[in-house]
Amino acid sequence: MKRPLGTIAGARSGDKGGDANLGVWVRTEQAYEWLNGFLTTEKLKELLPEAREVSRYELPNLKALNFVLHGLLGDGVAGSTRFDPQAKALGEWLRSREVEIPEELL
Amino acid sequence: MIRIGNASGFYGDRLSAMREQLEGGHLDVLTGDYLAELTMLILGRDRMKDSSLGYAKTFLRQMEDCLALALDKGVKIVTNAGGLNPEGLARKLDAKVGYVTGDDLKGRFPEALTANAYLGAWEIAECLNQGAQVVVTGRVTDASLVVGPAAAHFGWARTDWDRLAGATVAGHVLECGTQATGGNYSFFTEIDATRPGFPIAEIDEDGSCLITKHDGTGGAVTTDTVTAQLLYEIGAPEYLGPDVTTHFDTIRLEEHQRGVRISGTRGSLPPDTLKVCLNTLGGFRNATTFVLTGLDVDAKAELVKRQLHDAIGDEGLTWTLARTDQSDADTEEQASALLHVTIKTADPRRAKGFSRAAIELALASYPGFHVTAPPGDGTPFGVYRAAYVNRDEVSAKAVLL
Repeated sequence: MKRPLGTIAGARSGDKGGDANLGVWVRTEQAYEWLNGFLTTEKLKELLPEAREVSRYELPNLKALNFVLHGLLGDGVAGSTRFDPQAKALGEWLRSREVEIPEELL
Repeated sequence: MIRIGNASGFYGDRLSAMREQLEGGHLDVLTGDYLAELTMLILGRDRMKDSSLGYAKTFLRQMEDCLALALDKGVKIVTNAGGLNPEGLARKLDAKVGYVTGDDLKGRFPEALTANAYLGAWEIAECLNQGAQVVVTGRVTDASLVVGPAAAHFGWARTDWDRLAGATVAGHVLECGTQATGGNYSFFTEIDATRPGFPIAEIDEDGSCLITKHDGTGGAVTTDTVTAQLLYEIGAPEYLGPDVTTHFDTIRLEEHQRGVRISGTRGSLPPDTLKVCLNTLGGFRNATTFVLTGLDVDAKAELVKRQLHDAIGDEGLTWTLARTDQSDADTEEQASALLHVTIKTADPRRAKGFSRAAIELALASYPGFHVTAPPGDGTPFGVYRAAYVNRDEVSAKAVLL
């Protein structure tokens, strides 16, 4: 079923110099199994086309994935000309993207 | 067990938080984080104007209001509000104050406006062991504000990796204030997020903790609100700090009647180097936003771009067109797109000239020309970068006044 990712996933994002970090988590083991298979680096770039070089880390204990989007913020918060220079809303943007979510997780 | 609260997640956070935390129930220590990378730049510019400044002024206001209350209740205050001038701030406080110094590396990085090593917890612990009622630091890692008091309270050793890692996790959860208790939270519709209370960590001798908040305060502490904050501003699961490397993939969360229990965290040897926060002046910037309403939005954007480039050249200009407009809209705002333009330049006159050039277009450009706010004279901007130095190049020191 095509639904916003945020229907089942929470997210929080922020800045570290010129890099942004984006943590995504879900609330059940079953949902994490799906998320971990679904949200690859490639898929993230597809959903957030502004992302360039991306690192991906798995945190199964928190049912979470953490992404670092390298260079997204240019010179960092004070120098960035980006619309959201601290990447505060990057996570909410991701949550609004519509993706195919298995019906049993909804 | 030691009960450590937080009353600030950034320079500008809720001013009344300190009083709320002191009056809301029992605490052993109250911490406050005031320093982001950007804050160091702001304080650096304060210090350029007046060398007696360079600390977080709002903390001083909070102390004028609450220091007597804290002393009366026996609550120790630990803060990084000292910024670039911990001694200057410490000397303004009427209590037994300790301060931490040695983070300033401007001598080593003379080209920077600010250069500060991220110090750790041990100098904070030393101040507390010597009887300080208030500890003021400059640049320490945010989590150190919590690790220091826990290490002092339990008498931990510098090689108690798991304990230090556990307290680091507690510190990471607390360091952004209400971001742990339902602020900026994806599932905010499920809780009462009107006025989240500030967080508290009850840390045990083994470094595990209970994240909670005072009874009767707003927001919520659930595994979801705590997970959200654990994911904030992290990179690889090996979280590097000055005192310990904390393994975020070992953290276990468990719902508790009064909040969330955190246990299982493993720690290991920290890296040989310390991270340094460097801010240099990057130049000058200015910006404005043109509102493009109705038909021919792309052509309108092209026209104003061409005109501004013709007036001042295109060097250092960045344009973004946000197509927020809807066709055949019922409100004027919904019929409008936003064209943002930013200039970054080494020349302050060029940053100022940008304003004049943009405003001179007002009667000579696309139909419906207006801007969301007129551009100002331009402001200097900083560029942040991290550097790394060997530990022996930094001599951190605890001083008791």
